[in-house]
Amino acid sequence: MRVTKIRLLLLVVVGLVGMVASCAQMKTIPGLPASHPEALVAGQQVNCAECHEDQQKGTMKAFSSFSHTQPFVKNHRFYAASDDRLCSTCHKSSFCNDCHTNKVEMKPSTIYSNRPDREFQHRGNFITLHKIEGKLDPASCYRCHGRANNERCIACHR
Amino acid sequence: MKKMCCTILCTASLFTLPVGAMAADVTVDSSTILGLGQSDREGEKKETLLPVTQFLGLTADKLGDGNVSLHFYGWGRTDLAGKSYNDNKSAGNLTYGYLQYRFKQANSNIRAGRLFVHEGIINEQIDGVSARTDLPLGFGLSAFGGATVHATHIVGENSDGRGDTVFGGRANYRYKGLFEIGVSGVFESAAPDLVTRAASDYRRIGGDVWIAPFRAVDIIGHSSYDLETKQFAEHSYLLNIKMTPQWILTGEFNQQNDQSYLYPWTSFTSAVLNPDDKSSSVGFSLLHEVNKNLGVVVDSKKYTREFGTASRFGGEARVNFMDNSIRGGIGYHYLDAGQGFAIAPNPTASYHELRCYVMRDTKSYFGAVDVLGDFFKDSIYEESRAWEASTSLGYHFSPALALSGSLSYGRNPQFIEEVKALLRLTYNITYSATGGKK
Repeated sequence: MRVTKIRLLLLVVVGLVGMVASCAQMKTIPGLPASHPEALVAGQQVNCAECHEDQQKGTMKAFSSFSHTQPFVKNHRFYAASDDRLCSTCHKSSFCNDCHTNKVEMKPSTIYSNRPDREFQHRGNFITLHKIEGKLDPASCYRCHGRANNERCIACHR
Repeated sequence: MKKMCCTILCTASLFTLPVGAMAADVTVDSSTILGLGQSDREGEKKETLLPVTQFLGLTADKLGDGNVSLHFYGWGRTDLAGKSYNDNKSAGNLTYGYLQYRFKQANSNIRAGRLFVHEGIINEQIDGVSARTDLPLGFGLSAFGGATVHATHIVGENSDGRGDTVFGGRANYRYKGLFEIGVSGVFESAAPDLVTRAASDYRRIGGDVWIAPFRAVDIIGHSSYDLETKQFAEHSYLLNIKMTPQWILTGEFNQQNDQSYLYPWTSFTSAVLNPDDKSSSVGFSLLHEVNKNLGVVVDSKKYTREFGTASRFGGEARVNFMDNSIRGGIGYHYLDAGQGFAIAPNPTASYHELRCYVMRDTKSYFGAVDVLGDFFKDSIYEESRAWEASTSLGYHFSPALALSGSLSYGRNPQFIEEVKALLRLTYNITYSATGGKK
């Protein structure tokens, strides 16, 4: 019993020492800037590699992975899941929440009908098409409407 | 009670800043939208609709010691005439409102208030706190907890079927920009009982990975496991191969166990789904940046469900000219899908989709035209096609202030004719001379 207590105490001490050492070390870990140092043109398919080629430092991912090519924009969920702090150097949270939110007032494609280049979901006749698209890939509906933002789904899907 | 405490504490945290610390960089994003419409339903009187919606974002940076910031975004709507949605003449929502302390090192931050959390398999909106940091040797840690944001009203119920509190986090390890692995989990308190449908508990864990063995290749994705159904919920992975800077090949694989993935979805009683049913999709896209002004993509995707397979293929081209002030795109896709995916009683769900748009943005005026058409192999509700054309025109009174209007007309199986018009006043300004445009 006493041996167990001593081991637990040792474990706590080691843990505390580890935490203190980590905190001291953290001052040497670089962080991303709060915002991108240069303004970028709205609507541009930003090519990060234009300026950041071969600037991969420490444990950072290569900037070229984040160039806003058409496939990147289409698959941005993968990148935002583990690197939204990099996204936030250029995009405010509201940029994401135009689509990804719990409660919307109108379709993003209606709010930003002057920005057809942003490729919003649910353009045009989607009210008919969702009866097909929902069967094809229900996960694509669930990602936004499953846990939230489903008041309009429930209006019909009772 | 827990929920109320969290909400009160988080809201109160926004008012803890001393007034003297309010000298900050402030950004205001405002959009006021006046919609113009008419409701014309069979058996009902025609009704004119005039909803006014205000979207407002506010960011105050460099508060306190320079590392504190306040972030707010929300919207409110009132109907000047008619009822634009349900029985309420007004509505509103606080999308987020939080205070953030951002450390200069290690990408560390602490946030409190209403906020969104995106970490690994986690995508949550909470009234609570979140924190994260990079740790020595490539490790990283994040955690969050608070009250669930209940934003959905279900007719005949007193609850949206979600538990009142939620917490979770993610731990990760990165190695020299070559790979990253992460484990994450989200745990919600027990779902309340509902009268008209089943509500399910939401407790899920998962792992995510990013591997870049060579500069030209990366693999990124995640798998999640539902602790209630005791089954994998999803596998979702993406492969990018940058053959040259001008040619990028992308492949993706997604598979969901329907019952487990959809388990907490209150809209559908997912708990009664067959535990063996799966939804899968495999796809690829090939991008060719012909030059700085032209990019072309061809893509294809195959869907597999228990009632059949379907495939979609097509492509699109994007152009831009005059320093990006003129942009345009044209695309075509064809969905080949059988009866299992069709709207009854059609024998197929196949359709062609065509889209093209062009837009111009100058210092004084801006405009856009967007046309989208769907052509069904088998008519839906006796309509063989659906289409919508919309046009927008606006004027910048100053770099910060613009007025624009949009008008769209369409025909589709659901509404025969659909006309939408709106006026939009936008005001976006940053009271600061430093930093990038967000």
